[in-house]
Amino acid sequence: MEKNAGLEVLMRQSLEGDKRAYTELLRETARLIRPFLAKRLSFESEVEDVLQEVLISIHKARHTYDGNRPYKPWAFAIAKFRLQDNLRMHYADQLRHAEDFSEQENNLHMDVTESAFNYESISRVVHQLPEKPAAILRLMHQEGYTAKEVAEKLGMTESAVKVAAHRAYKILRKKLEQ
Amino acid sequence: MEDFEILVAKLANDAVTVSPAPHPYLLALKLITAAAIYLVLSLAISGLRPDLAQALQQPWFVAEIIALLLTFIVTSFSAALLAFPDLYQKRGLAFAPLWMFAMFLLVMLFAWHADSPPAPLPAHSYQCTICITLLAMLPAMWTFYTLRKYASTHYHWAGSIVLISAFSVGALWLRLHEVNDSITHVIEWHYLPMFAAGILGLWLGKIILRW
Repeated sequence: MEKNAGLEVLMRQSLEGDKRAYTELLRETARLIRPFLAKRLSFESEVEDVLQEVLISIHKARHTYDGNRPYKPWAFAIAKFRLQDNLRMHYADQLRHAEDFSEQENNLHMDVTESAFNYESISRVVHQLPEKPAAILRLMHQEGYTAKEVAEKLGMTESAVKVAAHRAYKILRKKLEQ
Repeated sequence: MEDFEILVAKLANDAVTVSPAPHPYLLALKLITAAAIYLVLSLAISGLRPDLAQALQQPWFVAEIIALLLTFIVTSFSAALLAFPDLYQKRGLAFAPLWMFAMFLLVMLFAWHADSPPAPLPAHSYQCTICITLLAMLPAMWTFYTLRKYASTHYHWAGSIVLISAFSVGALWLRLHEVNDSITHVIEWHYLPMFAAGILGLWLGKIILRW
């Protein structure tokens, strides 16, 4: 409670142009928001990117905070907004680059029984993946859990599991094709 | 981590004295006052319907005007709250237009039932929609311009509310100006386009209010 009251004071001082208070406020805000983002994004680099966007947005929108209401809901509203924006852009990007299977149909090999990849080679590559994506793939494809169940098991959101799984497939494909 | 420290230093270096945005209620009152002046001026120029005193004797006409006025007021407050990232922590009021919409539908339903035998349809049709749209343009632009100065995190909803608010001003003007008792015509050419504008606002809000 005392810490939260401190954030409001820091923000009021920042609005008056106190650079030191503002530096402290941004650091405290980052400390609060980093775990929120980490829980919803799978890679640390992404967490840092979105965190920086959140801080820039807080800077741009700081005039919409007047110091008369709690600071944390205000900052988290911006964090949530930027996170959703980021995920939306990510999915839109995925859709843009998604290949249409009907276009690829003619290029597919007829021989579907022989494949350069087998269970062992895929399992070996899955083991080389970072811990979280590897666990997600194992749970979903070896143990047959749904994305929702995996999310509950790993303490993530369902969408974060889907994003992580999607990225893991890409890495997996790249590694298998090497 | 190094990038993070550089960013914090850069932002802190940009920290100058900033005057906080006005309270959203004050902002809403400004929007309401500007729109009310515009409505009064428009009515002064175009003239009130000659049978207004007689129309005000009809309870469903009065209910319709009150519902429109309330829509305009509630959407103005909602638009002002939606300009703030955290809705000024008054979520209930920010989403109050949903209740208002339900109430408006009820009023329209009762007015429709009360319109028996139905009043004759006027000779014109889409012209009313055009008039309302033209009159709503200035309040819509003004409100969008005002909201752009803040930081809406609900820009789809905000865009919709802005257009419904502006169109309610246009609809109020036409109801007080045009001699017309056909509720069928009013629903078809006044209010359905108003709510269609609300749907258009979902898209427009994303374009105009993105930051």
